[in-house]
Amino acid sequence: MAQRDARFNQHVLVDTTPMPDHIPKVEEIGTSSAPLLSASYFIGARCKAFNDDFMQCKQEANGRGEIDCLKEGRKVTRCASSVIKDINTHCLAQFKAHWECLENNNHNLFECRSPEFSLNKCVFQNLGLQKTIPGAPEDQVPVHLRPRQKYSVNAWNQFDLEQRKEAREAGASLFKQQEQK
Amino acid sequence: MPQDMPPTGGYAQVQYKRNLPARGFRPWVYAVGLHAIMAYGFYTHWVGVREQRELTREKMWSRLYLLPLLQAEEDRDQVRRHFAENARQKELLGAEEKVYNSDRFIRPTVVYTPSEVTPEAKKSWF
Repeated sequence: MAQRDARFNQHVLVDTTPMPDHIPKVEEIGTSSAPLLSASYFIGARCKAFNDDFMQCKQEANGRGEIDCLKEGRKVTRCASSVIKDINTHCLAQFKAHWECLENNNHNLFECRSPEFSLNKCVFQNLGLQKTIPGAPEDQVPVHLRPRQKYSVNAWNQFDLEQRKEAREAGASLFKQQEQK
Repeated sequence: MPQDMPPTGGYAQVQYKRNLPARGFRPWVYAVGLHAIMAYGFYTHWVGVREQRELTREKMWSRLYLLPLLQAEEDRDQVRRHFAENARQKELLGAEEKVYNSDRFIRPTVVYTPSEVTPEAKKSWF
């Protein structure tokens, strides 16, 4: 967008004027909804500080956040882009499998547990980012580790046997950690 | 004429007693069964509600993690248009016109378009 000339005339009514030069450029994330949903927990895991900073800036700017918080906004976008870039370099196959599954299943996370499990595993091994759902009850296995997804079309065939075993172990180790606390 | 008398040995007994054998189980068995089925149904519903709640929580947090990113992109776009509009005003009017008595950022509600517009451009309106 930024490379195109400014046009606002009888032919095109979309304002394509680029950002003024005194504001640093940043490349937009350019990712569609399904990959963003797929990567959201990893973005949250790595960029939480930037995200919170941006939202706090917006809240404290008293209605001028759009202009005053551009710097924080750029940081948020750069951080999210770095996550997407890292996932693409290390776990492209799993990532693609997961977001294509989401795309085919109405963006329902509970329909795509098997590709999600592979993706989470790969991302944790390569990037060290882990999916955790804040506020989830501690005495239950987190939804994304349950072998049976009650609301899925194929409720019993979500995980293959190996994944089922690993998920059980992951759940068991979570309980063990909580008992030690 | 001899009077009409009962037959010797008396009349046969009149059949007035009902003979309706009670079918099925005792009533309390039905009551217990009914409640057992209902309890199972409510339990399944309860488990489903808990699962649904966790799924909702997952969906909400995934959105919450993306929200600053999407908001930052949208803000940048609005600021870009805002600066472009100001520059245009300066070029046409010689000065930036201040519409509101406030320094808050306000998204424009009115957009001026050229008086003559080609049909192709009309398609891309807003």
